[in-house]
Amino acid sequence: MDDSVRLELRGLSKSFGALRVTRDVNLAVRTGEVHALIGPNGAGKTTLITQISGELLPDAGDILLAGQPITQLPAHRRAAAGLARSFQISQVFPEFDVEDNVAMAVQARMPGGFDMWRNAKRDARLRDPTREAIARVGLDGRRRVRVGELAHGEKRQLELAMALALGTTTLLLDEPMAGMSSEESRRMAELLAELKGTYTILLVEHDMDVVFSLADRITVLVYGQAIFTGTPDAVRANAEVRKAYLGGD
Amino acid sequence: MTRKDWINLAGLAVFVLLPTIAQTVGQPFLVNLFTRFLIYAIAAVSLDLILGYGALVSFGHAAFFGLGGYVIGIVAFHTADGSGLFGWAGTGQALILWPLAVATCALAGLVIGFLSLRTSGVQFIMITLAFGQMLYFLLVGLMVYGGDDGLAIKRRNTLPGLDLRDASTYYYLCTALLIGWVYLCRRIVGSRFGMALRSLKQNRRRSVALGYAPLRYQLTAFTVSAAGTGLAGVLWANYALFVSPDMTAWQKSGELMAMVILGGMGSIFGPILGACAFIGLEQVLTAWTEHWMLVMGPVLVLIVLFGKRGLYGLLVPEREHG
Repeated sequence: MDDSVRLELRGLSKSFGALRVTRDVNLAVRTGEVHALIGPNGAGKTTLITQISGELLPDAGDILLAGQPITQLPAHRRAAAGLARSFQISQVFPEFDVEDNVAMAVQARMPGGFDMWRNAKRDARLRDPTREAIARVGLDGRRRVRVGELAHGEKRQLELAMALALGTTTLLLDEPMAGMSSEESRRMAELLAELKGTYTILLVEHDMDVVFSLADRITVLVYGQAIFTGTPDAVRANAEVRKAYLGGD
Repeated sequence: MTRKDWINLAGLAVFVLLPTIAQTVGQPFLVNLFTRFLIYAIAAVSLDLILGYGALVSFGHAAFFGLGGYVIGIVAFHTADGSGLFGWAGTGQALILWPLAVATCALAGLVIGFLSLRTSGVQFIMITLAFGQMLYFLLVGLMVYGGDDGLAIKRRNTLPGLDLRDASTYYYLCTALLIGWVYLCRRIVGSRFGMALRSLKQNRRRSVALGYAPLRYQLTAFTVSAAGTGLAGVLWANYALFVSPDMTAWQKSGELMAMVILGGMGSIFGPILGACAFIGLEQVLTAWTEHWMLVMGPVLVLIVLFGKRGLYGLLVPEREHG
């Protein structure tokens, strides 16, 4: 980890009518760190991720990736700019098998998306990196299974494989363990621990054990406001955070 | 070989041997019927490209069918009376006219697609329908070209070395074009481009997050589809030696859609079967009653209810469908 900032939010604000879901959020994710975003339900965590990934445009403020403003960049160009996201509710291609799903991510980062002639399923330039990403998340045995038939936990693994296959260095992971069994969660936590250091990760997660063991720094979001950022120990010790979120004494 | 390969091979054999069979059984009119199958199959396959693989329900696709036909009809009209078009004396050469007609349809597809693809779902259906109807009423109003009554064409376009006036020769030409078009479409849906198109259909949000820009892929597919449908219109004009605004009417768009759904969406091969079944049933039923839609309607409903993958889905197992 170095001290350079990979992803930065400056004064980000977003309202839906009278509801201010993001209030003047400043956040700096350092290169190579796992930065967790925690907060009670409805704090605006997913809305924040959605603005970073470009599906929603903020009303005010800036988003910078490696120092470059990406605030106005359309969603489909942010992956190429270096951002990959996973979704809280698995967003996959249900009619494709596991391998084709991941291949879509590999293909997205290569030129030649308009090749109408060569068979994509026999293209080694697509398939080799695809299999690598699948192996990385432990889905080797399920490569040819249609995604509609995967168990919930496996879909979460697939989400991660797709994010990895995009070949970006910055991952936005929105509750990667949502709805997983404890065994599945444990495996996912191990996987995230392996990724730590290689990737810059902004992680939204409800499982506090995972957050506190994995994160380098934590930002606490309450009512759309970032009320505190610090190391896990500092967050644990902070009275305001305890009052707002951790339940206090 | 898979079951699917056998089915496709059997279909191919029927098409190739048909003129011989028709001769043998003493029913030469079968060649004409099968020529109609082939022409509509090309249109249905083209529509499947966007309907089955892109979930883009174009309810105005007959516009391209009619446009392709009218390019042939209008050039023939001006060539015959010696008036010429924009200073061009005109020609009957298929090698010049057909690419011109197909390119015209591709261009129209590009423009109509660009405007229509700003919407999706029901709006997309309505806006494509509106474009189709615009062309329909334009043609109805063009009295020079016969308006409502349509335009008769004196003779088929010519190809060096082939006598297109001969029913069998024309039939084989249509067969060759269908085979070529199906091959091209299969390549497209299996390519990177095709995979991107299919991914957008299944989960647009995910596709965009990965970096795919929907408009570029969908518009390209729409344009290719319009070109293929235009080719079918060209072949129809040469087959029937007649074009009329009915070729572009919404009923025709509905028929094309019915062929795709009847045969099985998202398989390229299915719509060929759908076109044959639709035209064949129409032929049989109209001989029996003019209210043939009374029978066709329920058949369509049954197929859609009980076989989501259409007739082709009854023959080919699911994992081989796509």
